[in-house]
Amino acid sequence: MPLSNNKVADDGTSTQPLQEGKALVDSLIKAVACYRHLASCIGGCTDNSSLRRDLWQTRERAQTLALSCRNHLTARLRDKTLPEAERKETEQLWVAFSSCLELLHADMCKVFTMVKQFSLANNSTMVQTGIQGGTTEVAARALSLHGLQEAGDGPQTSSMEGQELSQLEQEIAQVDRTLEDMELKVNVLRWTVEALGPQYADPVSTDSASLALLSIDEEAAQGFCSRSQMFAAMMLCGVAIFAVVLSVCVVFLV
Amino acid sequence: MTIKNVRDHGQRYRPRMACLKKVENVVLEMQDPKTGVKSQTQRLVITTIPHAITGEDIVAWIANRFKIDATEARAMGTMMVAFGYIYPLQDHKRLMLKPDTSLYRFQTPYFWPAQQWPVEDTDYAIYLAKRNIRKKGMLELYEQEQYNNLYKWMNHKWDFIVMQAKEQYRAGKERKKPDRVVFDCQERAYWVVHRPPPGTVSAMDYGHDRMVDPNMEEKKTPDYYRRIIMFTQQCIMRPRVKSSVSIGALVKYTTTYKEHDPFLHACLPSNPWLTDDVTYWTLNMPNVEIPTKMRVERWTFSFGELLMDPRGRADFRLFLKKEFSGENLAFWEACEDLKWGAAETMKEKAQQIYKTFLARGAPRWINIDGKTMDITVKGLAHPHRYVLDAAQTHIYMLMKKDSFGRYLKSPVFKETQKKAIAPEPQRFTETQLEQNAKRRRPSLSPIILRQQEEEQKAKLAASGPVDITQLCRFTAPVPHLAVYTGICEAQSTASPGFMTLPNSAACPSPISVAIDSTPASERRFDGNGGPSSSHFPSIAEASVSEEENQPPAPKSRMALSLSRLLRRGCNAPSVFASLSPKCAVASGGGKVQPLGVEPLAQPQPRRIANFFQIKVDIPPECRIYPIDSEDEEDDSPDTARGGVKEIICPWETVTKQEGTG
Repeated sequence: MPLSNNKVADDGTSTQPLQEGKALVDSLIKAVACYRHLASCIGGCTDNSSLRRDLWQTRERAQTLALSCRNHLTARLRDKTLPEAERKETEQLWVAFSSCLELLHADMCKVFTMVKQFSLANNSTMVQTGIQGGTTEVAARALSLHGLQEAGDGPQTSSMEGQELSQLEQEIAQVDRTLEDMELKVNVLRWTVEALGPQYADPVSTDSASLALLSIDEEAAQGFCSRSQMFAAMMLCGVAIFAVVLSVCVVFLV
Repeated sequence: MTIKNVRDHGQRYRPRMACLKKVENVVLEMQDPKTGVKSQTQRLVITTIPHAITGEDIVAWIANRFKIDATEARAMGTMMVAFGYIYPLQDHKRLMLKPDTSLYRFQTPYFWPAQQWPVEDTDYAIYLAKRNIRKKGMLELYEQEQYNNLYKWMNHKWDFIVMQAKEQYRAGKERKKPDRVVFDCQERAYWVVHRPPPGTVSAMDYGHDRMVDPNMEEKKTPDYYRRIIMFTQQCIMRPRVKSSVSIGALVKYTTTYKEHDPFLHACLPSNPWLTDDVTYWTLNMPNVEIPTKMRVERWTFSFGELLMDPRGRADFRLFLKKEFSGENLAFWEACEDLKWGAAETMKEKAQQIYKTFLARGAPRWINIDGKTMDITVKGLAHPHRYVLDAAQTHIYMLMKKDSFGRYLKSPVFKETQKKAIAPEPQRFTETQLEQNAKRRRPSLSPIILRQQEEEQKAKLAASGPVDITQLCRFTAPVPHLAVYTGICEAQSTASPGFMTLPNSAACPSPISVAIDSTPASERRFDGNGGPSSSHFPSIAEASVSEEENQPPAPKSRMALSLSRLLRRGCNAPSVFASLSPKCAVASGGGKVQPLGVEPLAQPQPRRIANFFQIKVDIPPECRIYPIDSEDEEDDSPDTARGGVKEIICPWETVTKQEGTG
């Protein structure tokens, strides 16, 4: 069972339960997003015990959050005295929460199969995926820790791995049960829930650097690069010629 | 909650693609730093990313590892790329292996194709939203369309999807730049495999799930051995043919059908599955007026082909009508209807067919030999679906050996051949193909198709072929016989007092089922003869005009409704009372008459065939008797004048005596 974490209660700074619910769901979504990033590194060349540990910690965190989220939302939805507007909002949160949990469940199942296949203890071959860096920052983000935790890489023995695997299996089963319980306890009709947000999310930032990397990557074959270079060169030539003409004029005048 | 994979049918997931596990092992072998594929560094503007491999290296490694030649190695490499184990770094949308210096990279195991988890639309929506977040308007047209669709379908989750996309994007920013680039490439490659751009196919499209996991070792339980034993026993029991014979048959089949196979030969004008242009299908509709040349050529291959094609059958029917031997085909069709029709009307249908075609003195008597007739009659005592099989086969063979040959030399066929169209092959440009793909529409609903089919059948029956044996003067239609026999050309009413059944020698009474249940509203005798005649398929020719002289009004309506009802097999005897102006009676000849002979004006009870008892019974209004023999007995005393000649089949008397209907 995941350790109960008092941090959860501090997350929702406002006393309003709705805000608290929203904050919980947001943290859960963050944790699940980070978990996915971590999971994508399994079996790759950066797969090591610290990655596994990060995965484990993120998973724990996500499960804790899920538990508290579930309790909070179930309590609210079963409360008959809830006003209509708040009920709608809570239902939205509920749908978001259940989809998030499903994603987590899917990721956990994938991780389970992958960990079985790419066992660290047995030194299985890892795929050379081109990833170079570590994922500690991602894990830190999930755990809402502001400092990097550099714990030592303990060697993984097969018994430890076996233990972890069985624990993972149990956790998967638990999430499964949670999902089922949720459906039984609270009846939220999916077709009555409507999206509040826009269809297109606003661009979060102008991350031009990675964009540039990718676009160059894509368009290298098309020779776009060379065209822009040629254009720049022509501009330069034009300016140079203009300068030369000017100097010649000056010389003639003088 | 998302509904989980319902295709499981409650069983453990059993994948179909055995190759995936094997490809994974090969990919892992490729990773070996010493014996694996040489890896290089990919240089980008700002940074370098390791672990890039060239196409030629991959091909060389595969060829070396499996001891195969370069083309096969290339094909195998393409397969690995198509599955998504290796993705191209340039030209990422075309999943093929180019044996040159183009770069590839291995896909991370998280994004390996798996059959245990279906590819979720939620993930795809998150991916598209992420791409949109990174740069607005980066989605391609097809991605845009899918994004809009997903927004509609998954509207309730949409806030979650957008939030998750944002979070994943932000989490990605925590990683180093080259890793971010690599991750984006990996994800993009994954989705190219599983949501292929238009015009390409996903290699993970594998059809139905198998019930057995091919990668799993099967435990040798007693059940397993039992299965093996059954399998081998069935193998032994199978009938065998000499290979020379079977191969000869295969060779003959392939040489005949070579040009007609759309896989081996270009389909004219174009294959709708490839070009999204449905001209081919509209030209080859079942009842099109002008068939294509290929279709007509197929009719010459075998008689079966001719009969199976509705257009061919119609042509053949026309030919037989000209030759006045339409009853063979009609009988064959009637038997098919019996075999494939509803179970409730089966008995009545069988009896009706017998009385129309097989009985002595039947209006459309067909010529089968004595032995088959014996078998059939015996079988009809306890009718079942296949009771007329022997007779049907006999007639089929007769048509095949005799009429088919003559048909192929006939002017009807030559005319059809001449008029057949040979469409030009179409050539589409890329943009036109895209437009075609956008213009795709679903075909007609099967309900509508079935209605059209039934209307066609009814029209056919309504203006059906001539019944040569019953050139009776009476104009009344034989609604109940309309389905198979059509309506005999009724000549002008000599006695307008009562309308009689043209095929009256055939027992009208037993057939009344359909008529009985005709609601009164459908029986209208306005002059809507026109439509029925004009509905006749265009292959109708001038010779048919004699039919059109008759007042087809009442009979067409009735025929239509009755044939429909016959098919439905309604049994509502109560309605028959309102059928007054109809027909039943008959004078007609009790015997089969040769072509062109005038029907006898008066009933001739003396010419009773020895085999059958023929009751002469002419009701004042044309009453139709219900099918039950008991009712027949009840009704017969009511009749005063007029006569209904019934053919009572031998088994009926037996059953009547026994008191069973």
